[in-house]
Amino acid sequence: MENSSVLDPAPSPKMAPTERVALITGASRGLGYTLAEFLARQQWTLILNARHENALGTAAERLRAAGAVVTAVPGDVARPSDRRAIAAAARRAGRLDLLVNNASELGPSPLPPLLEHPLPALRRVFEVNVLAPIALVRACLRLLRSSRGLVVNVTSDAARGGYPGWGGYGSSKAALELVSKTLANELRDSGVGVVAVDPGDLRTQMHQDAFPGQDISDRPLPDVTLPFWAWLEGQDPSRVSGQRFEAQGTVWEVPA
Amino acid sequence: MNRQELVFEQPRELFASSPVELDRGSRDQVRLLVTTPAGNRHATFVELPRFLSAGDLLVANESATLAASLEAHGPAGTYTLDLSTRYADGLWVAEPRWDPAHPGPMPIQPGEEARVGDATVRYVAPYPGIPRLWFIRSDRPLEPILAEAGVPIHYGYVQKIWPLDAYQSMFSRVPGSAEMPSAARPITPRIEEALEAAGVRFTSVVLHSGVSSLEIETDSVEQQAVYPEPFQVSRSAAEMVNRTREEGHRVVAIGTTVVRALESAWTPDGLRPRQGFTRLFVHPGNPVRSVDGLLTGFHDPVTSHLAMLAALIGLPRVMAAYREAIANGYRWHEFGDSHLILRK
Repeated sequence: MENSSVLDPAPSPKMAPTERVALITGASRGLGYTLAEFLARQQWTLILNARHENALGTAAERLRAAGAVVTAVPGDVARPSDRRAIAAAARRAGRLDLLVNNASELGPSPLPPLLEHPLPALRRVFEVNVLAPIALVRACLRLLRSSRGLVVNVTSDAARGGYPGWGGYGSSKAALELVSKTLANELRDSGVGVVAVDPGDLRTQMHQDAFPGQDISDRPLPDVTLPFWAWLEGQDPSRVSGQRFEAQGTVWEVPA
Repeated sequence: MNRQELVFEQPRELFASSPVELDRGSRDQVRLLVTTPAGNRHATFVELPRFLSAGDLLVANESATLAASLEAHGPAGTYTLDLSTRYADGLWVAEPRWDPAHPGPMPIQPGEEARVGDATVRYVAPYPGIPRLWFIRSDRPLEPILAEAGVPIHYGYVQKIWPLDAYQSMFSRVPGSAEMPSAARPITPRIEEALEAAGVRFTSVVLHSGVSSLEIETDSVEQQAVYPEPFQVSRSAAEMVNRTREEGHRVVAIGTTVVRALESAWTPDGLRPRQGFTRLFVHPGNPVRSVDGLLTGFHDPVTSHLAMLAALIGLPRVMAAYREAIANGYRWHEFGDSHLILRK
């Protein structure tokens, strides 16, 4: 959407969807997989990462069956050598229109009060949720610039809630939100957009880990976020850059 | 609110099947039911200015109707594909139907393709919670195909396919609605002049209406999934609404689409300019704060529009008005009669 009115978009000079490339971390299940499948069915080229090689391989096979070109890069986003492998796959694809930092570390289950949170586990939470997204943007910046791409950092209402037990995960997501806003400002002239997206409560393994033994079947499946991702696909990255969106919220606002 | 509360018997002979101007010469020759706290009154649309006061503000929707219904050829044969909302270049939410009179669900699989004009569209995913709607991706922009081969979305109750002009109002300016925001249809230049002479003012917003006839399927009205629509409330529209209310006059929305747009731009400090997609569902658990009245048509049973009316004046008064309308032969749907609802 390059014109002044969001309601009257001119046909965009963007690449056809088959030529667009997305990199999604934490893509073997849950929200990451749901988004990957939505883009695969639109014939995006996908680079998918997850820690568990078998689960990632299975997910990639299913998406290839849907007709997508998929590169699976197993690995831990907190490990520099694995990040190098992920960025190398993006370079081989030749462009990067969308980088979704979705892989997240919840911390111990059940969630401990902050003062009882083991510090090594807390360090791990920050490495996965804050440092890895910064490092991945850095590693992919040249591609993102030349493709005028969008970085999506997946956040949570725990970043704002102060909920007991959510202090480790929540403070890391709060940091990630400030990282997003800061990068959006620092990259303002580069054409790269950076947004934070809170998908809302979802029926996923991570949500179950946060509420071990509880029935979470009243939470919606991750496909409830598809309308939001579809909407975001239609937005000019530089126009929405710096914003925080709620995928299950009432209004997805484009700044005037 | 339970969906049963929105059920009423609707005689099919009350469905308006053709534009009123064909029989009676002008669009403003429809009836007007006026519902106020004092009860219901029967009037004609040309009497509208009598029920409004100097200083009141009418808010119109500038969205123009697309010829959004296309013919598709796929594994299920030749069928109707009604485009609902554009999300990105070539990415739409659409409703495949057997034909205009026969809705789906069609036996469609994700990844399935269809030919539409010279485009190939793929079914990407069903809309979450509304399985008759699908995200579709086309290999080229669909707008030129709409211009070439599209017809206005129409259902079984219309006699024939009317020209697109029949689905535009005098406010239509920005193309984007799948279905006509039809509340403004009876407003003709002479009605507008009479309203202005009475001191009634106008402003406008944009909300692109998707496919209608969204029947609530969940037992609890509030749990029904509703799809988002693009909207824009400009600075000048927000200022006019705020000023009208500060001065103690009434803000009257022309159509449910305008209520959705204004409520989506509402803050505790009044209206502010806002644009994007809105998922707001106005129902009795989610009261209306931005408008004092609504000029609209007559809505089908168990629909989200009916829930909005209940949010505006309470369900008992809506149902009393509808009993009155049915007993007196008011006509339903986009070519039908009008209903002015005032809260004060």
